[in-house]
Amino acid sequence: MRSITFLCLLFLFSCSDSELVDLKNISHGAELYKNYCSNCHQMDGSGLAQLIPPLYQSDYLTENAGALPCIIKNGLKGKIRVGSNSYTLAMPAVRNLSREDVKDICVYVLQKFPKTPIVIADSVLKNTHKNCP
Amino acid sequence: MKKVYVAMAMLLVLGACSEKKKLPILGNRAAVERLIDGKLQIDTLYATVADFSLTNQDGKTITQETVKGKIYIADFFFASCPTICPIMKKQMIRVFEKYKGDTGILFLSHTIDPEHDTIALLKDYATRLGSDGTQWMFLTGEREQIYELAEKGYYATALPDSLEPGGYVHSGGFILVDGQRRVRGIYNGTDEKEVDQLMLDMDLLKNEQ
Ligand code: HEC
Repeated sequence: MRSITFLCLLFLFSCSDSELVDLKNISHGAELYKNYCSNCHQMDGSGLAQLIPPLYQSDYLTENAGALPCIIKNGLKGKIRVGSNSYTLAMPAVRNLSREDVKDICVYVLQKFPKTPIVIADSVLKNTHKNCP
Repeated sequence: MKKVYVAMAMLLVLGACSEKKKLPILGNRAAVERLIDGKLQIDTLYATVADFSLTNQDGKTITQETVKGKIYIADFFFASCPTICPIMKKQMIRVFEKYKGDTGILFLSHTIDPEHDTIALLKDYATRLGSDGTQWMFLTGEREQIYELAEKGYYATALPDSLEPGGYVHSGGFILVDGQRRVRGIYNGTDEKEVDQLMLDMDLLKNEQ
C-alpha cells in the first residue's frame, strides 16, 4: 500500500520541470503548515466560519496556484471569492520563512487541498523574491 | 420495586453531589462591617467587574446594566490577530452554538485594537462568525478603559507589544462571569478540553442562579 502511495506521489511530481520533489519536502511542509497556517485555515483546511476561507477544494486556490508563494510571503488583502462566499478579512504576511520553507508549504498545500493535486514549476516556487510584487 | 429504591438512592447521591459542587469566586475579597437593624454584621465583599460603558457592533451603548442578572463570557481579541484569535473564535463558536437563544447568557468579545477595529468592521466580523449581535456582542471603546477592564476586571492581560506578531500580547482566556458580575472561572480559549469544562461550569452556574 505504501509503495502505491509512493508511486502515485512520484507520478504526480514527475511532471514538475526539474528534480523530483522529495517526500521530505512534503512532511516538512506539513509541519510548517501546522505552525504557520493551521490556526487560521485549520489542519483540515476547512477555514473558520465566513471569516477565514477554506483551502480544502478552494476554487480560488486552484485558479491562483501560481500565486501561492506570494500569498504566503505578502499576505492577501481585499475582497475575494471562494466557492459561493466572499471574504474580506486580510491575511497577514507570514514572516520568518526561508525560500525553502515557502516552497515546502506550497508543495504540501497544493498536494493536499485541491480536488486534484497541483504541481507548480520549481522556477515559480524558487523565485518568490523576484516574482512577488 | 427494589429497582425503584436503588434509582432513588442514586438520585439522592447525585443530588447531594451537585449541591456540593459550586464554582469558586475569584479575586480579592474584603470583610465589611454593616449595620443592619442596629446590629453590626460582618459581610464578605467579593471582587466584581467594575462599571463600564462600551459600544457594540451596532453602535449601541453597552454597560453593566446590559449584563445585569446574566451569566456572561468575556474575551479579548483583535480582528487582524494572526495567532490565537482564530483558534479562540473557533472555540467560542462551539460555546455560542450550544447556548444560542438562552436569554440568560451573553457573550462579550472586546477588541483590544479599537483604532483599527471600527464599529463597521466589528459588525462584519460578527456576521461572519454567525452572530446577529444580540447575544454575542463585539465591543469597542476607549483604549484605556478596555485595557483597564481586561486587567483589573477580568484578570486578562492585553498590552500593546510591537514584538509579538500582530503587535499585541494577550491572554487567550474565556472569562466566566455570574449574574452579580463576579468572575467564576477563567479558561484557556485555545484549548478544546478547557472549553468543554467551561460549558460544564456554565451549566453549574445556571443551576446556582
Ligand atoms: C491570521 C490568519 C491567517 C493565517 C495565519 C494564514 N491565512 Fe491564509 N487567509 C486568511 C484570510 C483572512 C484570507 C482571505 C484574504 C482576503 O479575503 O483577501 C486568506 C486567504 C488565503 C488563500 C486564498 C483563499 C483560499 O482560501 O484559497 C490562500 C491560498 C491562503 N490563505 C493560504 C495560506 C497559507 C498557505 C498559510 C500559511 C503559510 C496561511 N494562508 C496563513 C487568513 C490567514
